[in-house]
Amino acid sequence: MPDLGELVRAAVEASQADEAVEAYAEESRQTEASALRGEVEGLEFAESRGVGVRVIRDGRLGYAYAADPSVDEVRATVGRARENAALTEPDEFNVLPAAEPASAIPELFREDSADVTTEAKVRMALDLERRLVTSDPRVTKVDFAQIGDATSRVAIASTAGVDAEYARTDAFVVAVTLAVDGDETQTGFSYRIARGLDELGLDDVADEAIERAVRMLGATKPPTAKVPVVLDRFAAMDFLGVLASALNAENVLKGRSLFAEMVGDRVGSELFTLVDDGTILDGPGAAPFDGEGVPSGRTELFTRGTLNGFLHDTYTAVRMGGGQRSTGNGKRGSYKGSPGVGTSNFYLDNGTTPFDELLRDAEGGVLIADVSGVHSGANPISGEFSVGATGLRIEGGALGEPLREMTIASTLPEMLAGITGLGDDLRFFSSVGTPSVLIGEMTLAGV
Amino acid sequence: MLGRALVDEVLTAARRRGGAFAEVFVEETTGTSIRLDDGKVEELTTGLDRGAGVRVTHGTSYGYAFSNRLDRDALLEAAEAASAALREGEAGSVVDLRTLAGPLTNAVERPASDVPAADKVAWLRALDDAARGFSPEVVQVVGVYGDSLQRRLIATSDGRWVEEDRPRIRLVAQVVAKRDDNIQTGFHGPAACSGVEFIDSNTPHDTALVAAERAVTMLDSVPAPAGEMPVVLAPGMGGVLFHEAVGHPLEADAIDKEASVYRGLIGTKCASELIHGVDDATIPNGWGSFSFDDEGTPAQRTVLFTDGVLQAYLYDRLRAEKDGADSTGNGRRQSYASPPVVRMTNTNILNGTSDPAEVLSDTANGVYVTALGGGQVNPATGDFVFGVSEGHLIEHGAATTPVRGANLIGRAIEVMSAVDAVADDFDTWEGVCGKDGQSAPVGSGSPTLRISRITVGGTGA
Repeated sequence: MPDLGELVRAAVEASQADEAVEAYAEESRQTEASALRGEVEGLEFAESRGVGVRVIRDGRLGYAYAADPSVDEVRATVGRARENAALTEPDEFNVLPAAEPASAIPELFREDSADVTTEAKVRMALDLERRLVTSDPRVTKVDFAQIGDATSRVAIASTAGVDAEYARTDAFVVAVTLAVDGDETQTGFSYRIARGLDELGLDDVADEAIERAVRMLGATKPPTAKVPVVLDRFAAMDFLGVLASALNAENVLKGRSLFAEMVGDRVGSELFTLVDDGTILDGPGAAPFDGEGVPSGRTELFTRGTLNGFLHDTYTAVRMGGGQRSTGNGKRGSYKGSPGVGTSNFYLDNGTTPFDELLRDAEGGVLIADVSGVHSGANPISGEFSVGATGLRIEGGALGEPLREMTIASTLPEMLAGITGLGDDLRFFSSVGTPSVLIGEMTLAGV
Repeated sequence: MLGRALVDEVLTAARRRGGAFAEVFVEETTGTSIRLDDGKVEELTTGLDRGAGVRVTHGTSYGYAFSNRLDRDALLEAAEAASAALREGEAGSVVDLRTLAGPLTNAVERPASDVPAADKVAWLRALDDAARGFSPEVVQVVGVYGDSLQRRLIATSDGRWVEEDRPRIRLVAQVVAKRDDNIQTGFHGPAACSGVEFIDSNTPHDTALVAAERAVTMLDSVPAPAGEMPVVLAPGMGGVLFHEAVGHPLEADAIDKEASVYRGLIGTKCASELIHGVDDATIPNGWGSFSFDDEGTPAQRTVLFTDGVLQAYLYDRLRAEKDGADSTGNGRRQSYASPPVVRMTNTNILNGTSDPAEVLSDTANGVYVTALGGGQVNPATGDFVFGVSEGHLIEHGAATTPVRGANLIGRAIEVMSAVDAVADDFDTWEGVCGKDGQSAPVGSGSPTLRISRITVGGTGA
């Protein structure tokens, strides 16, 4: 089996004189184990590799990919990408980035990950499930308890001189519990992504998944009102996803972002500093370079409420002009697609207020624990959103009665400007991180 | 794709520790996707994907492993890995593999692979022209064309040998309209398991106009009201709600995990008597249709509700065997890289007898929903939420001012019981459903229907 470097270099060697060619290869080995009722529910092994090729000819872009190709098939894939390029329209901004040296991040790859046996992973899943169903009498069942890990390698080479590789290990855990009281059932979830299985903090995950289900028992629908709102970290993460879309320079350039004309404007409150940083090791989104081989960097998108700029890949940077450079955010879902703007570690900078104090500041308000329908209910173009929510009443500086079947609706600028407090509890549960967020007033619709 | 002797060898290896059955799923998929954005055909991608997955089951436990390589060594290694999920047991046998034949659900007149890519590019240009021609307020258009052909082989240790090709085609228009600072969007994305004859009845021009009209209409919108009120759902939209809020909790994995509000309710009335609902994989060329599911079970039409009485759950093989039931042919997977999960195909509320115009004129006030943007349900609690991408106020029995920023929120059983009118103008809506990290094409459909009371979330008064 040819190694990844050999495959991508074969593609570059198959280039013709008047074209730019880039090949991206990835391979991964992944194991997932889930447990249910004290037994293995599922044990999955995934082993995949593939190569994707971009060809740019006269400004025209063509793409083709193949799963597990031989060197000959890679050459054929270059040919297909070339044929595809002949049918698209020229765009002067289609260029490949020049090679830039990227610092290696050896910490991304944990050698000892390979030492964890399948049996040990299965045991972790079984232990997690047992802990989930034996810690609280109201939680005797899980909906889902799974752990998994992966080892992956990436190689990229281009006619512009890029020739780079890196390896990484990742691990994750997901827990969804069912809490039952009489006829009523409530669910609670938690999850983490980290570099190795031993960094997941399974006990914390289990406790969170239990607590988040149990505290919702007896939930009622609240009356419609305007109240202070605390977004817990899981809920706040969902909103960051919508912001990421509106801060994507491609959406800005193509008239699909509400922030397009707002650079330099004070949009959010003084507390709102938003960063994308592919170099910090705290978050699982770290990588030495992006999907085009551009070194990862740190981009401060908002500083104390003021919009500085957007996330760029090479295409959007060249098209934006004015000396704009790629921010190292050319991301790929897999080898099956060409790069597009995406986030690395995307986070809301930490605040200074302890969580308990945030609750006191939100007296009479609601802690939003979970939001649903964000992908459909929030519009990154207009900034308007209306999403379903569950949460808890804040009474006497503490969490009180559970609430369900309510919606919160506002606009992104109003919400960002309305931030009146930030917790000191920033944490990366995935590649998106945020502290708890206090918003002075939001409309909560219920009965 | 693979010879029977090799498949037999792989199944035998997979059963070395016994288990209920073993299964091999082999796939070769080719496809084309083209994207037009900002007035330009900016990218054309062709892909070749192939791989094989081996599953071994024991009760509701399973082991699964896949490989991109289809050689003997790689397949035997996958079989070995998958069987490791099982406790040590006596090796199981493999029954003689026999080809299962069924009626062809997705006939193709003109295969997409026979059409030059240049023609497909021209469809997107026509889509762009039509959308921009609709109104000077249309400022941005994304057009996406995609087709794929998935060749599948499914073989099982209990003797199933199923080969089926699945053709897919989709055309998507996303339109942005702008008036001063007001920006609105419109979406339309018809799809089918069909050849390119699909484009004859879903032309780029018509697809563009639906999306453009939605976006421009929404420029006149006012913030949606908040609170409980009657809601009338346009044809197709009730099917989206039915899929999400009712269909998912009827999937047998949710029932098995006691994570469904419909557990124990077969034979019970838990929807309005006007509700007749089915899951039907046999609809010719439907977006969720096939001849066999991804476990090799023949496609079928499963009646879910008759007169509002719950009739059945949706089963794959694992849960069916556990419950002593038959699979309803709802074992589906995204690709060879994933084991099957229980999921819907085409999920429809059938026609009633009301006149759609009367349903609206009989509604004094409320919201008329003409497009839903997607939704989410918690099957265990029945709580759901849907974004409304196009809606109108209903005032004195007529649809009037468009509203934006609305969502619908409720609980499955309550809301389906509150349906008080079902019309006779059935239509479909094609979507992509996500579950357990896998996505699959699903159809849904319904006539116009009215929910007498449901919570609308909005920012307006």
